[in-house]
Amino acid sequence: MLTRAVATFVIVLLALGLAPTPGDAQAPIKIGVIEPLSGPVAASGNYVRMGAEIARDWINARGGVNGRKIELLIEDNKSDPKEAASAAEKLIVRDKVPAIMGAWGSSMTLAAMPKLEEYGVPMVVETSSASSVTKRGNPWVFRISPPSEMEALGLEQYVDKLGVKKADFLAVNTDWGRGAIQAFGDMLKKHGVQVGAAEFMEQSATDMNAQLTKIKGTGGDTLFLTTAVEQITLVLRQGQEQRLSRKVVTTGGSSSPTQLIKQAGAAAEGSYHIVFFMPWFPEAMPDGKLAKAFVDEWNKRGHPFEGLTEGFRGHDGIATIVEAVKLAGKDEPKAVRDALWKVSFTGLNGPIKFEKDGPAGKESGQSKPSIFVVQVRDGKVALPDFLKK
Amino acid sequence: MTRRALAALLAVALLTAPSWLTSAYHLHVLIMAGIFAILALSLNLLLGYTGQLSLGHAAFFGIGAYTSALLTLKLEWSFWPALVSAAATAGLAGWAIGRLALKLRGAYFVLVTISFAGVISLVSVNWMELTNGPLGLPGVPAPELGPWSLRAKAAYYYLVLAAAALAYLVCHRLVHSRIGRALVALRENEPLAESVGIDATRYLVLAAVISAALAGVAGSLYAHYTRFVSPEVFLFTYTVTMVIMVVAGGQGTLVGPVIGALLFTALPEALREAMAWQWQMLAYGVVLVALVFFLPKGIVPSIERMRRGLPRSQPASRPPLQQC
Amino acid sequence: MEQLLQHLVNGLVLGGTYALLGIGLTLIFGLMSVVNFAHGEFYTLGAYTTFGVLALAGWPFFVALGAAILLGAVAGAVCERVLLRPLRGESIDTVMLVMIGVWIAMQNTELLVWGGVARSIPHPFPTAPLTLGPLSIAPVRLFVVAAAAALIGAAWLLIQRTRLGTAMRATFQDRDTAALMGVPIGRIHTITFAFGSALAAAAGALLGPVFLAYPSMGDLASLKAFSVVILGGLGNLAGATLGGLLLGIAEELGAGYVSSGYRDAVGFVAIILVLLFRPAGLFARAERIG
Repeated sequence: MLTRAVATFVIVLLALGLAPTPGDAQAPIKIGVIEPLSGPVAASGNYVRMGAEIARDWINARGGVNGRKIELLIEDNKSDPKEAASAAEKLIVRDKVPAIMGAWGSSMTLAAMPKLEEYGVPMVVETSSASSVTKRGNPWVFRISPPSEMEALGLEQYVDKLGVKKADFLAVNTDWGRGAIQAFGDMLKKHGVQVGAAEFMEQSATDMNAQLTKIKGTGGDTLFLTTAVEQITLVLRQGQEQRLSRKVVTTGGSSSPTQLIKQAGAAAEGSYHIVFFMPWFPEAMPDGKLAKAFVDEWNKRGHPFEGLTEGFRGHDGIATIVEAVKLAGKDEPKAVRDALWKVSFTGLNGPIKFEKDGPAGKESGQSKPSIFVVQVRDGKVALPDFLKK
Repeated sequence: MTRRALAALLAVALLTAPSWLTSAYHLHVLIMAGIFAILALSLNLLLGYTGQLSLGHAAFFGIGAYTSALLTLKLEWSFWPALVSAAATAGLAGWAIGRLALKLRGAYFVLVTISFAGVISLVSVNWMELTNGPLGLPGVPAPELGPWSLRAKAAYYYLVLAAAALAYLVCHRLVHSRIGRALVALRENEPLAESVGIDATRYLVLAAVISAALAGVAGSLYAHYTRFVSPEVFLFTYTVTMVIMVVAGGQGTLVGPVIGALLFTALPEALREAMAWQWQMLAYGVVLVALVFFLPKGIVPSIERMRRGLPRSQPASRPPLQQC
Repeated sequence: MEQLLQHLVNGLVLGGTYALLGIGLTLIFGLMSVVNFAHGEFYTLGAYTTFGVLALAGWPFFVALGAAILLGAVAGAVCERVLLRPLRGESIDTVMLVMIGVWIAMQNTELLVWGGVARSIPHPFPTAPLTLGPLSIAPVRLFVVAAAAALIGAAWLLIQRTRLGTAMRATFQDRDTAALMGVPIGRIHTITFAFGSALAAAAGALLGPVFLAYPSMGDLASLKAFSVVILGGLGNLAGATLGGLLLGIAEELGAGYVSSGYRDAVGFVAIILVLLFRPAGLFARAERIG
């Protein structure tokens, strides 16, 4: 009985392994998507997914690419680098995708990167901010999101207008938070701004009173905050409870000011936010019509408005890959990779065009995204006061 | 079919896997299963044979991974001495835990191990100069055997297979030796065992050291396969997964944890194929509960019972010593 | 100096919430020997129930709290009856594994039902903080401390002064004798688990409005609860209360004066030290139960 069971098992395994995959010229073009769809940052991962799905539907409605529809194969990396690597392996080997978009968090992206090189498949990085992503000498990586250094540069022009004399930092204890502190700290010091305290919070922490009490004692005038919207809400609320009265600037683009206003209420008043997409005034984006259409479609699908500040990444990532496939003329990984260097179009965030980044001979691609600053005033999101003057 | 023939068939299948597995993805799953098998065997030494549950085993795994990665990255050591050092460092940590916690049993030991893992995890995140903190250590080099690089999947598979076989052998020899019998005696009835002259301290610490060293080996193998180490290796989910593999596979047996490792490495991947991402983890939880419910003693002991015509579950009693 | 005082105030408030988490678990883990990794999920259940009742059904705040506690009790009772009772004779590890499965299943169900976005739970208290010189404290947090104290007091009364409490203590001290004396062992187990889970749900219902509700909020809560239980000694209600307060203050001072990165390490180191030097808990007395 056991013998038969084992024999059947082995035969089934062989059958599965040897089954031929049908090839069809009119088969859809498959694009892999790896995002954290469960775990602590599930909300963000899902927003990116929703944005990607809108891009897919729009492209298919226009007839697809090279006469073929596109199909998204979506994998959950469960906020775990090991899972990100496994998902990449599966997408590349089993599903034979010509390109992937992912993997949100920098650790997840870094874990998946060796697979890209192993099999020769390009990946468009839509969110990760660690500088190492494009400096590792992996020629299959193309990033459309800004590393922390670029973000800091984007804010540089406003430092004097903001009137920052002494800054404190409170960041989530991940590569993103630490990278932001490093990048913004360096930029501020160049402008003669004093840096006070640099405090951290665990990704899952809910009580930041200790850190806020410490920051309150430094005498600084501005607090730079880098974390996801849930923690920003808590920090603002707890800051209000402790009567912390100073300017707040959030970095990283994940602050979702709409959600902040809803959940932190008056505590969010006056805060500044670095964002990469402004759904409140889409006409101000580089391609105003596209942005407005995206916002309308998002609302039509009943997705939460606060997700737009992250959902646009999904759209731009897929649009980039599709543009490359169009230029390459076929959905073959190496051709798509080579075509990515030739891509030049305007996405939701702005112009997307890759420049060489990293060690010579093995450069990765890095685009120069647009950086925007908004402010919460009178319970609504508006352009910052210093810009209006 | 006799057990020997079955084992031989399995051995042949495993040895020739790269040839008949058409997909590199399946090979990837087998490699991960192999690494986890070593982890499960190591946890089983403590849990199944001494009866002490370590929920901080991910700490030894992570220590092994970081040691190996740092030595090969920063000091440019070759893989093999790094592997040995990983085992040694993890073993040292195991010794520390063993000595510190030797007074404790049961739930208290569990909590010390959790706390230890928690502290190590926080150190890895915060001690930037050593571990690069949350940014992790990318680009861990692949091992080399003389002139050949073991980077290719098939080559790495054989490395992991060899390591897993070695781990199994070590456990087997240990369990069937005097030390093994002493451990079981301690598990079954500690005061009685001590009255016969078995030094609980010495044997528990020994078990802890070997267990931790094996976990360190698994960590090193993991680091050089994924070629990226970050503080996520200390995630509690790794420990939970290990525990599931050991208990569901059958603690106190040697084959049980291996079967558990195979099953619970393949299960999430199979779920990935079978259903949309929303339902995968939920299904995983349900499968776990169902498995424990219907086979509370674990898979391997339940199969043994069925073969011997016994009911599937009986009031709590540990499986007898002479289990393969 | 005022920083220190503020830290202490913060720590006390935080500690009150930890205490609430701990007393539920000390009953389940300490008395029933169930390594309940799903304890945090009942906490999450309490928070989401409060959200659902308040935001969706629109009922008043205190009704929502009551509903959360009730649902926690029911869920706990069902869990014990369906999953734990059949596994009564099994080893502690098997039971632990089942609770791990419940943990995974519950958390992912919550993710499916409510989505991953954190929910803000409205509360009727004013947001402006109460001030006492340089110290600030939010009214809602004071309420949480007061409510926690009330619940802890009620729990203590139940265990020490009622027949049910006596039956519970008897069951866990010596099951066979208690059975011989006519105590319905099965029902006592169910009631104990339900009670512990209800307390966890209460903690979630109270803390949800202070923080936010999101599916993985229970993970850290579970670990902190275990710390508190160890600090206070298994089965020791008063110990868990004091342990919770201590943990809160220690964490707050550690984060404030040592390093915010290592904040959680305080709890872990505390466990290790206590277990090494006073394994029965900091507040151990001769009688372990109650």
